[in-house]
Amino acid sequence: MNTIVVLAAILLILMILVGGAKGAKSFIALFLNFIVILFTVILMLNSHNNPVVLTLIACIGVSAINLFYINGINNKTVIAFVSTLITISILLLLIYLFAKKAMIQGFSEEEEEGISIFSLHIGIDFVKVAVSLIIISTLGAITDVAIAISSPIREVFHHNPKISRQELFNSGMVIGRDILGSDTNTLFFAFIGGYMALLLWFRDLSYSFGEIINSKVFGAEMLTIFCGGIGIALIIPIAAGLNAWYITKYVQGEETKQYE
Amino acid sequence: MKWKNNLKKKQVFIFCLLLFLCLVSMVFVTNNYGVYDRPIAKVAHMEVTHSEAEIDMNGNKDRLYTQKLIGELKNGKQKGKKIELTNSYTKSKAYDQAYKTGDELFITIDKSKGKTLKGTIQDVKRDKYMMAGFWTFLFVLYGIGKKQGLFAVFSLAVNIALLAGALEIYVRTGQNLLLLSGLLVILFTVLSLLVINGPNQKTYAAILTTLLGTFASISITLLVMRLTSENGLRYEEMQFLTRPYKTVFIAGLFIGALGAVMDVAITITSSIFELWEKNHDITIQALKKSGLEIGRDIMGTMTSILFFAYISGSIPMLILYLKNALPLGYTLSVNLSLELTRALAGGIGIVLAIPIGLYISIFFIKRKRANI
Repeated sequence: MNTIVVLAAILLILMILVGGAKGAKSFIALFLNFIVILFTVILMLNSHNNPVVLTLIACIGVSAINLFYINGINNKTVIAFVSTLITISILLLLIYLFAKKAMIQGFSEEEEEGISIFSLHIGIDFVKVAVSLIIISTLGAITDVAIAISSPIREVFHHNPKISRQELFNSGMVIGRDILGSDTNTLFFAFIGGYMALLLWFRDLSYSFGEIINSKVFGAEMLTIFCGGIGIALIIPIAAGLNAWYITKYVQGEETKQYE
Repeated sequence: MKWKNNLKKKQVFIFCLLLFLCLVSMVFVTNNYGVYDRPIAKVAHMEVTHSEAEIDMNGNKDRLYTQKLIGELKNGKQKGKKIELTNSYTKSKAYDQAYKTGDELFITIDKSKGKTLKGTIQDVKRDKYMMAGFWTFLFVLYGIGKKQGLFAVFSLAVNIALLAGALEIYVRTGQNLLLLSGLLVILFTVLSLLVINGPNQKTYAAILTTLLGTFASISITLLVMRLTSENGLRYEEMQFLTRPYKTVFIAGLFIGALGAVMDVAITITSSIFELWEKNHDITIQALKKSGLEIGRDIMGTMTSILFFAYISGSIPMLILYLKNALPLGYTLSVNLSLELTRALAGGIGIVLAIPIGLYISIFFIKRKRANI
C-alpha cells in the first residue's frame, strides 16, 4: 500500500468523523486545490504562457474553491474573495521587485548534483516561476484570514446595528490581529520544518554566516517567509476595510429600512 | 488618560527605535564590503556581446547570451581598480543570472599579467536585499499587527535560532535530532503561551492539547510509514545530505505539524473557555457542540495553509522534470511525495487537535466547576 494514499484516507476519515459533511467538503476542496495547482504547472510548460498570469488565474480558482465551495456564495464570501484578489495583486508587485533584484529564481549551486542530468535551457522565465511559487505558498493563509475576518465582523455588526464605519473597521483590525499571530505561526513552522535539511546542509558545507546570508537558496527561503508574513498582514486592513464599507453602505441601510 | 498617553509614548519610542535600527542596518549592508574576505565588484558597464538561439534535445527553445562586464573592485588590496568579467546566461535564467549596471557581485580575481584585471563571477551580493526584505516584513507586520505583529516576527527569529542551536548540538554530539528539536520547540511553545496568556488553566489546556495532538499525529504517520514500508516515499530530494535523511525528514515533519496543531489548540481551548467565562451555567453538551462547530470551520483552511506552503516549493522542479520529457507520474512521485506526507501529517494533527482540545478544556472546566 502506498503511504500517501493511506495517510490521505486517514485524514479523510478523521475529517468526516470530526467535521461531518463539512469535513468531507474540506477534504474534497484540498483535492481540488491540488488539481488546480497541477493544472497550472502543466500550463506553465508552454513557454508562450506567462507563469504569473497563470498563477493569478489559479489564485482565482483556489479562492473560489476555498471560499465559495466550502462556505457557499453570499456577500460575506464574495467580499473575502475580492479582498484575497486585491491582496494578491499588491503582494505580486512586491514579490516581483524582490525576486528580480535579489536574483533568487531557479536552482542554486547547492542543488547542482540533483539537476546536472537535466537540460536547464528550457525557455521558461524562472523569475516569474519564483514569483508564482511565493504567491502560491501563502495563498492558503491569505484566504484563511479573509474569511476569518468577514464572519466575526458581521457578528459585531448584528450586535450593534448602529455602529459607524470607522468602529467596524477597528473591530475588524482587532479580529485580524488575533488571527495574524496564529496564521504566521502555522506558516512559519511549516517552512522551518521544510528547511531543516537546508540548515543542516549549510552546517555540513561549513558555510560562513556571510555565505549563508548571500546564498541563493537561503535568500529564496527567507523571502518566501517574509512575503508570506506580509501577505497575511496585508489582507487584514483590506478585508476589514471592504467589509466595513460594504456593511455600512448596503447592509446597514437595508436593516434601517426594515425597522421603519 | 495618563495611561493612554504612556501607551502612545511607548509606541512612538518602539517605532523610533525600530526605524533607527533599520536605518543603521541598511547603511551597514550597503557599505559592508570590508567585512567580506571574498572580493566584491560593482558592475559599472555592461555589454551583451553575443546572443544565439538554442534548442535542447527535448525541443525546448531558449536563447543564450554572453555579456561583458566592467566592474569596480569594492574591497581588498586592489580596491577601486577596474576588473573585466564575462558572464553567459540564458533567457530562462534557471541556473544563471543576467547582470546589470549597479549589481554587486562576489568574484575571484584571476592571476593576470596585463594591465586590466580579469575575474570570474561567483555569486550575487544579496545581503542588502535580505535586509530590505526583513525590514519590509517587520514594518508591515508591526504597522498592521501592532504588538501581535511584532511578536510574530520575534517568535520566528527565536524559533529559527533554537532550531539552528538544536542542529548544532546534533552535529556536535550526535544526540537524537527528533528529540532535540522537539524539546526545544516545545520549550518555546510553553514559554510563549505562558507569556501571551499567563499561567492559567486555559494555557495549560492549550499546552497539553498541543503536545498530545502533535504526538498523536506523528505516531500515526510513523506507524503508517512502517506498516506500508514507506511505499511511494522518495527521498531523492534529500539525498544530498550526508546524514540519515529520514531522521531529518521526520524532525521536519514534527516541527511543521507542531506549529499547526499549536494554533488549533489555542483557538479551540480559548473559545471553549471564553464560552464558559461568559456563561458559567452552560451545559457540557452545548460546549461540545460549539467546540465542534468552531473546529469544523477551521480544519479545512488550516490544512490548506500547510498544503500550499509545502507543495509550492516543488514547482520549479516539476517544471524542470516535465520539460525534460519525464513522465508525469514519475515527476510527481519524486518531487511531491515528501511534501504531501508533510501536509497530510500536519492535517491529521490539525483534525485530531479539535476533539483533544475540546475534551481537555471540558476536563479543566469540570474541575473548576467542582471547586466552585
